Amino acid sequence: MNAQTIDEEKGELVACHSCDLLHLKTRLPEGGKAYCTRCGELLYTESSRAIETALALSLSSLVLFSAAHLLPFISIDIEGNASTIFLISTIETLTEIDSQLLALAGIFLLLIAPLIVLLVDVLLLYRLRFGRSGQSVISRQLLLIAGHMTPWNMLEIFLLGVLVSLVKLASMADITLHEGFWAFVGLVVINLTIAVRIHPETLWQALERLDR
Amino acid sequence: MASTGKAGPLTARNAGLVACHVCGKLQPWAAGSACARCGSMLHQRKPESLQRSWAFLISALLLYLPANLYPIMTTTTLGMPENSTIIGGVILLWQHGSYPVAAVVFIASVMIPIIKFLVIGSLLLLVRHGHSGKLGQHTRLFRFIEYIGPWSMIDVFVVILLVALIQFGGIASVYPGPAAAAFAGMVIATMLSALFFDTRLLWDRL
Repeated sequence: MNAQTIDEEKGELVACHSCDLLHLKTRLPEGGKAYCTRCGELLYTESSRAIETALALSLSSLVLFSAAHLLPFISIDIEGNASTIFLISTIETLTEIDSQLLALAGIFLLLIAPLIVLLVDVLLLYRLRFGRSGQSVISRQLLLIAGHMTPWNMLEIFLLGVLVSLVKLASMADITLHEGFWAFVGLVVINLTIAVRIHPETLWQALERLDR
Repeated sequence: MASTGKAGPLTARNAGLVACHVCGKLQPWAAGSACARCGSMLHQRKPESLQRSWAFLISALLLYLPANLYPIMTTTTLGMPENSTIIGGVILLWQHGSYPVAAVVFIASVMIPIIKFLVIGSLLLLVRHGHSGKLGQHTRLFRFIEYIGPWSMIDVFVVILLVALIQFGGIASVYPGPAAAAFAGMVIATMLSALFFDTRLLWDRL
């Protein structure tokens, strides 16, 4: 957990953002994680290929996100009354029946927040991996925006909501899951993987190195 | 290096440093200056943390009442409207024998909000009046409720999806009830309350 070998060259300090205790940064093995000795918060991680992996994953996410939105999502048939919906139909219907507050919540939580996080990830990781060094105000802004949007990215929770709805409908309707639904499942899985693999501190440090 | 012995634990603040609360960069503290890495205003602790956290917690508590008392959705079958509340939906799932799903919805919609109210409320009181024991446990508890908080949204998403799926005019239609927006607002307010709460305030008492 907290290796004793102090990084002699740098001797960098890091403060726990949960309890403010100072720690001397140590060199971690590949894939290692450092935790606060006092409150147990994750401080930083070590992964030499974090940027490449995250870039590949977020590009796949972007493809799946488009597929989830462009392809049909679910069809139901209740005694001859059939309908097929797209993911965006949820928001369209809410607007049509004048549930503006819910429509706003839906647009923000299911479309805007996840899309911004994804686009920012792709653009930023691309620059961190392939970009030339030099100050970039835009990259810094992108990283700030992504940080603010991350808590509102609720795709995995929506997926659980979809599953609960299917259970509710199962007794009275014939349900068909379409390509859009399966793309969405893939999207959720990959998004969770990205979240586990990349710590914001890793991105900020990569950006700092480019800025120099 | 947990303690220096005389000036309290060796925290960034006690060392004259500050960790930017947006990007985490550690740097010398000067009032009114901006972070060298991300450009955000530097603060030793999140500004007005307690007031903002209380404000959103109280808003969430107020929204909790309509969210549970009003119907979250109305199902119209052959012109006959039928209202269902959150707890009514859980009972219906249970009666249909979907026990695991009923349990998931009950935990997400009923238990998690109550746990969040209790934990954030008691931590807010602890910052002001508490002693300094069990801080590690309290911090872990906070991180736990911060993580589980958004999962309460499940019921709102169920309503959003059912409304889109079942629109067959007079034969069968589903409409969201007033509780749906109230519940979504309640979850968002508890999340904001947690976002504004600064756990370092707990540790500052040491």
